[in-house]
Amino acid sequence: MEHLTTETFAANARAALGNVQLRGALKNATGLFSRRRLEAARSLGNWEDLRSQARAIKDETLLHLDQYLEEFAANARRAGAQIHWARDATEANGIVCKLARERNARLVVKAKSMTTEEIHLNAALTAEGIEAVETDLGEYIIQLAGETPSHIIAPAIHKTKGQIAELFTTKLGVERTNDIAKLTSTARQVLRDKFAGADLGISGVNFGVAETGTILILENEGNIRLTTSLPKTHIALMGIEKVIPRFADLEVFLKLLPRSGTGQQLTTYQSLITGTKRQLNDEGPDELHIILLDNGRSRMLGHPVTRQSLACIRCGACLNACPVYQQIGGHAYGSVYAGPIGAVITPQLFGLAKSAELPYASSLCGACRDVCPVKINIPELLLHLRAEITQGSRQRAVGSRQESENNNQKPAKRARAERLAFKIWAAVMSSRRLYELSGSLFRVLQRFIVRGGKIGSIGVLPARLAPPLAAWTRTRDLRPIDKNTFRERWRNGLDKSSS
Amino acid sequence: MSKAIINSSMGEAQATILQSIREHLAESAACHAAIEEAKSAPTATEPSIEPDPAASADGHKNHAYHSAVEMFRERLEAVGGRCFVVRGEVEAARALKGIIAQLRATSLPAERIALSNAPLLVRLTREIVDVAEVTVAPSAAELFDYDVGLTTAQAAIAETGTLVLESDSESHRLVSLVPPVHIAIISAKDICLTIGDALKLVQRREVADMSRTITFITGPSRTADIELTLTVGVHGPRELYVIVNT
Repeated sequence: MEHLTTETFAANARAALGNVQLRGALKNATGLFSRRRLEAARSLGNWEDLRSQARAIKDETLLHLDQYLEEFAANARRAGAQIHWARDATEANGIVCKLARERNARLVVKAKSMTTEEIHLNAALTAEGIEAVETDLGEYIIQLAGETPSHIIAPAIHKTKGQIAELFTTKLGVERTNDIAKLTSTARQVLRDKFAGADLGISGVNFGVAETGTILILENEGNIRLTTSLPKTHIALMGIEKVIPRFADLEVFLKLLPRSGTGQQLTTYQSLITGTKRQLNDEGPDELHIILLDNGRSRMLGHPVTRQSLACIRCGACLNACPVYQQIGGHAYGSVYAGPIGAVITPQLFGLAKSAELPYASSLCGACRDVCPVKINIPELLLHLRAEITQGSRQRAVGSRQESENNNQKPAKRARAERLAFKIWAAVMSSRRLYELSGSLFRVLQRFIVRGGKIGSIGVLPARLAPPLAAWTRTRDLRPIDKNTFRERWRNGLDKSSS
Repeated sequence: MSKAIINSSMGEAQATILQSIREHLAESAACHAAIEEAKSAPTATEPSIEPDPAASADGHKNHAYHSAVEMFRERLEAVGGRCFVVRGEVEAARALKGIIAQLRATSLPAERIALSNAPLLVRLTREIVDVAEVTVAPSAAELFDYDVGLTTAQAAIAETGTLVLESDSESHRLVSLVPPVHIAIISAKDICLTIGDALKLVQRREVADMSRTITFITGPSRTADIELTLTVGVHGPRELYVIVNT
């Protein structure tokens, strides 16, 4: 499958809208997750308090992120973990590959981790000749298919059981079956061999506790427990924003994250890992390496509005709530981070020029803000990023030098057109004469383009507006201006003209 | 602690990241007042979730539980686990024997049973030794061929039906995970009410005194990754039995 990119968002979205199967699957998944989330949130009497507490904890952490990171690193080291710092994806991949080489690793088992997707770790390992196997069922399916995740929580929701059956038959040579339990059992068998033979286990981290140096990972399947228990070496990749101050703070997040993600009271497994073996015959890996990854995160601390992006706990609730995501799914965003949070994180991580379409992929309805367990004001962030794009401000992306060489023309051109349009709008709106004149003018002109009471009704060619206004009417209906202005109706008595 | 030595290139990355954090925080401090003002507006008008009238602050429905055991049992069974409440070791051994017999009556084999190193388990399995192969702490490689894993748990959480396993007390990390059936035995007095209580219980003043791995287990391994259809036993146990000794 060809991988979609952020630059072609509009085209990706149009293609996704034409995919009937995808839209059916999305409707089921987002609807189910949303209903379950609401039910789970309502079952707690203090949901809003928990959200405020969680946000307060995240705010406190982010304002002293340097101190909490150092405390986390010191305590994790004290417990036997080895800490690495990676400024960007290349450095993080380099550290993992070096550790793998030093241990002559041939086979790596991976637990689901968005951060490893973000740095394209699998590609880096493959380039070293190391086999990296995704072990989360959904991730395993899309890895077999050569695709990328379409949802944070359910990476393979875009595939039907028939497609998965076909995939397993082709790639694994098993007998074809549409029975979901049998398909799951096939994956269990195949992956058990991988777990047994793996040299390295690689996971992400949901929370890193500064006070104790503990990392917490949540899951339902058990593959993360296997990944972090069986291989001799465990490498955990952790974004620097994952740290929280105190061990007791975990309670708030353990209440919010599963409920927001899948509507569960608690996911099946939580692994709280503090360092390495205490005694020789202790179970589990000999080594724990924790890689602290920046990759554009520290830059988000530079403004209070962008800083809140780092409060995200990757629950996926905003994806399920978003009317745009519900229609187009994750792939159209062209980034590992999809949906409303993806639309704000992607441009900040990888550069505004590359993903200038994404902050516009929203109607600003605010559903994402309302469901966010850490109260991230995503609409505010979207507007902030739109302003940056429109102002043509130098993109803040430091880590993406090569892309500043790419042409920056499209957003810049749009920004100029937008500025001009708003200047004209402001002039017209602030002069009564201009306002009335333009009203009369449009009333005359619109006669040529109104069909069936609408401007831009699909079908009849001339009913569309000419560019650049067609950009609006191509996908939307536009109501024509009424024959009489409000002032005229007021003068004649409202009820007479309302007929 | 020799492991913890950082080489010089990593030191450089660490310094750069920490410096970047400090610089950007300083940059944002300048516009703090403005943002606090702007932020108060949208959050004030934000719709909030009205709690279910039957809910209370700790997430328990207004439902009178006679005991933490009862709540634990109800929550565990709600997520697909099975719970047996017994009195004393004799009854616990009998319940265990019953579970093994029941497993055999269904399609699941229960011929090879792996125990963690908790001494209680050897006592409880005396009556099963005749009917099944019982091994204490088999190696990781051997475990893949076992049908049942038997462990104790250091604590449990009533509000979520969760088992709490501390690795410093028992070698149960793999026995509770690899075989298709996990049976756990807990003492009723070790059941805490809330997640917060359990976190307090497992945290130690000194980092080095904390269990290397603390595992919370709530029900059997599950996935809904194919067409959102709930399937149990994807990587971990497909069946979870808990015997509570009161």
